[in-house]
Amino acid sequence: MPFPEFWEWVQARPLSEYIGFTYWFPLLESIHVLAIGFVVGSILMVDLRLLGVAAAGYAASRITHELVPWTWGAFVVAVITGVGMFMTRATAYVENPAFQIKLLLLILACANMAVFQFRTFRGIVYWDVGVAPPPAARVAGAASLLLWAGVVLAGRWTGHII
Amino acid sequence: MIEDFAYALADSRAQELAVYLLGNVPGLPPITQAVHILGIAAVTGSSIFLNLRILGIAVPSQNVSEMIQRLMPWTWWALLSNALTGSIFVIARPLRYYFNPVFAIKFSLLVPALVLAFVIHWLSRREPGYWEMSVGRRVALGAIALVSLVLWVGVVLAGRWIAYSEYLFYPE
Repeated sequence: MPFPEFWEWVQARPLSEYIGFTYWFPLLESIHVLAIGFVVGSILMVDLRLLGVAAAGYAASRITHELVPWTWGAFVVAVITGVGMFMTRATAYVENPAFQIKLLLLILACANMAVFQFRTFRGIVYWDVGVAPPPAARVAGAASLLLWAGVVLAGRWTGHII
Repeated sequence: MIEDFAYALADSRAQELAVYLLGNVPGLPPITQAVHILGIAAVTGSSIFLNLRILGIAVPSQNVSEMIQRLMPWTWWALLSNALTGSIFVIARPLRYYFNPVFAIKFSLLVPALVLAFVIHWLSRREPGYWEMSVGRRVALGAIALVSLVLWVGVVLAGRWIAYSEYLFYPE
């Protein structure tokens, strides 16, 4: 793993040790799970709308605008609480294969969101209301569902390896 | 009564089977727990967001009565899934859970949350638009939503603390 000294340094911070040896670790972890519920719960509704499976009575753009800010807000909370837990055993986490897979899936999930936002979403006026979303939107919805489920699985698996 | 059941379960073939499966099926514990977390996400996306909508905090363009009918079935299916994924761990170590006070806290938050979710769904099904018919009903629904929201958040937080409190409270 690159920068071994850096991860050693992170792990040796007083804050890292404090989190690792006190009630802060389970506190951060429980908030992390709550945040994951909001990330996946909000994006799930968007994805199902993009797939044409649910909430067909609402414009896709409206569902997206009302829910994606919740996804990002909760994602920020998940990142902060996640970094807090990561710090306590940084050297072990960077080498943990489940953690590496989780990061890769996270990057892919964000890339998928970006592609949808900057390409597919631009043509949304043609399929916003009353018609089935185009294949590109459905692919984005399905990919998002699978990637986030994978992030959750790899994230939970991380705790079983360390 | 619950104590007798916990002891009977601890001596059962089901307990042996659950321990065997969790220990021998590769990846079964993390996979089951991940499905449990996805269930939590589905409850968040349905019941928690419904409560937030009722309180005027989220998805303002969606209609409350319509949301109840559309989203509550997701809550029930997700909770069924979570009951199944949670059961395998309880069956494997019934006494550990029975004597864990955080497990008791989680369920004393979960039961009223279920009752309130059922009341919201049932009355709305019996009489479409029930909750929007009068000011009194709107206020009642707002109060139910606020309490439900606190309960669901408590269930999720307590759920994660069960594993940590085991070290503190389990007599062994």
